[in-house]
Amino acid sequence: MIKTAATFTSLLLIFATGYINAEPVAINGYARNYSGILFHSNNYGIVQNTFDLTFTQKTESAGLKANPYVRKNEIDETSQLDIREVYLDMFFDFMDIRAGKQQIIWGKADGVFITDVVSPRDLSEFILPDFTEIRMGITALKIDLYIGEQTIEVAAVPIFTPVKMPDTDSIWYPKFNFLPEIPGNPSFDYSKKDVEKKLKNGEIFAKYSILSSIADIEIMGGYMWDDEPSLHVEKNIDPITHQLLSVTVSPQHHRLTLAGGSFSATIDPFVIRGEAAYYQGKYFNSTDASLEDGLVKKNYLHYLAGADFTLWDIKISGQFIQKIIFGYNDYIVNPEYSGMATILLKRDFINETLHLEFFAYYDFDQDDALVRPTVSYDLTDGFEIILGANIFIGDRGIFGQYSDNSMIYSKVKYSF
Amino acid sequence: MKKIKILTIITGAILTAQLSHGESKLTGLDVIKKVYYRPVGKDMKSTLTMKLIGSSGSVRVRKIRQFSRDFGRVEKKIMFFISPADVKNTSFMNWSYDRPSKSDDQWIYLPAIKKVKRISSDSKSDYFMGSDFTYDDLGDRHPNMDTHKIIREETFEGENCYVVESRPKDKDYMYSKTISWVIKGKWIGLQKKFYDEDGNYLKVLKVKSYKKIKGYRIVVHSEMKNVQKNHTTEMILQNVRINSGVSSRKFTERMMRRGL
Repeated sequence: MIKTAATFTSLLLIFATGYINAEPVAINGYARNYSGILFHSNNYGIVQNTFDLTFTQKTESAGLKANPYVRKNEIDETSQLDIREVYLDMFFDFMDIRAGKQQIIWGKADGVFITDVVSPRDLSEFILPDFTEIRMGITALKIDLYIGEQTIEVAAVPIFTPVKMPDTDSIWYPKFNFLPEIPGNPSFDYSKKDVEKKLKNGEIFAKYSILSSIADIEIMGGYMWDDEPSLHVEKNIDPITHQLLSVTVSPQHHRLTLAGGSFSATIDPFVIRGEAAYYQGKYFNSTDASLEDGLVKKNYLHYLAGADFTLWDIKISGQFIQKIIFGYNDYIVNPEYSGMATILLKRDFINETLHLEFFAYYDFDQDDALVRPTVSYDLTDGFEIILGANIFIGDRGIFGQYSDNSMIYSKVKYSF
Repeated sequence: MKKIKILTIITGAILTAQLSHGESKLTGLDVIKKVYYRPVGKDMKSTLTMKLIGSSGSVRVRKIRQFSRDFGRVEKKIMFFISPADVKNTSFMNWSYDRPSKSDDQWIYLPAIKKVKRISSDSKSDYFMGSDFTYDDLGDRHPNMDTHKIIREETFEGENCYVVESRPKDKDYMYSKTISWVIKGKWIGLQKKFYDEDGNYLKVLKVKSYKKIKGYRIVVHSEMKNVQKNHTTEMILQNVRINSGVSSRKFTERMMRRGL
């Protein structure tokens, strides 16, 4: 499948280039400085400089895009040169084909990933980067078929790309509270972490969508790998004393099947949104001592209900999100029902040059939260100054675990 | 459809003759309806340049390529943002219905998040892209939402005009009244003064120039000045093409994502 896809991509490259080489290439991009100071220690949490370029060329029948970027992290003195997207488009009367590295983004949720699972996330800075940067490009062949306002989209992903986790010495490396208490730290075995690049290990996604005067609806399904590795826990127990000597954690990816959908509709003055997905075959960590690897396979539902409206010139958006694990038992580390809420408040001032924004996640189970107020000002067209804060509240949970990482930051960005 | 209606098929000469015959009996509502329903063609494409001029003289420029088409019961419009760089490839689509009870459907495509989002069309009082124009100012406010009265007739900038005072039926509306200078027979609002909720003079819209394109009178240069903020927005329409056969496929999610 990989070889076939590569050959097909090459053919598309040659074919499409013949169509579009007469058109000028548009170059856009931005330069950005991003600096943050941690509240807890008064140390720098981040000092990062980014230069991001986008090349596009398009005609009626074909197009291409390349988005390379370079990023220098001044704290750990690392540099990153990568391509976020590079793909070719072919446009036909009732069909588009896109081949190459691309971000594929589905669903109606804001800041929450329910059916939006085709492109994995880069969590090396948790969920704090801009949304365009948090999603990683994947090599895929995507075909869109159009029938009036309806679209059928199929994406074949020949090579699996997992979620990018923070380095183990990063301040964003998550805490694993489910591991048995032992003296010292657990050891990690990464030998089974990678999914072999083979034909049988590809992923396939499909989506039907319609945009109409009544509602916008998406129905999707996927046969994929779990982007987040399951953590197999191997316990080394003294056969005589039955005491736990050590723990080895082995991250491994497993297959997932999912079906879901989303909708949005206007009921004045509200825009209401909903999204749900049923995941089959997710491995959850368990404290059941009888399990060899500390994992149990279950199905779960992940859904969201939300509404957007405007009040006193403030754009308000609220979302309620819940996960329900089916066939639950009390050994499972995750709760059977886990709930979260998000709120977004936004108002523009001075002819839309000054913007105030407040975004927050609240986790009902652990009573923890992430609060993100920002104020941004457009100094001139394309030149933006942002002051903001990431405030982690609580002492455990997905947000509370980072309570030492609350920071105030500035971003200076020039787009061209 | 609200702006084009059956009048589109009538020739300009017949239209002028009919209007001249009935002008003496016109009410304020008639005058404003003639402006609102003034034919502008079945479809249009153009490039819109907005210059936002601050009180200090600073100028910000927004450039948009826009397409519109009347489908009978619905008028569809799609806008592609060309500049500034940080909003490039953003697109906005509006479907406006002839049923007064049906609100517009609106979507925005934000390239940063690669999603087409349905947005509420409830806020007609919102300012358009940081300009001095609200969505209502851009022509979406139906004449039946206000009461209209001809307060005088006068020559303004060399044109014979009706001067019409309009007051909103909704007392909470952002303007307490507007006064429009409408050219007799041409049904172009040459000037419009806006008064805020407290009755104070807020801003003035002036038509700088209009052109006859394929028999339709199209405003190609206008200026809105907010006298309270001393902020001005110039709107310049270029590359105007009327009835050039804009495809129905232009007004789809596919095109919002693809862009120009």
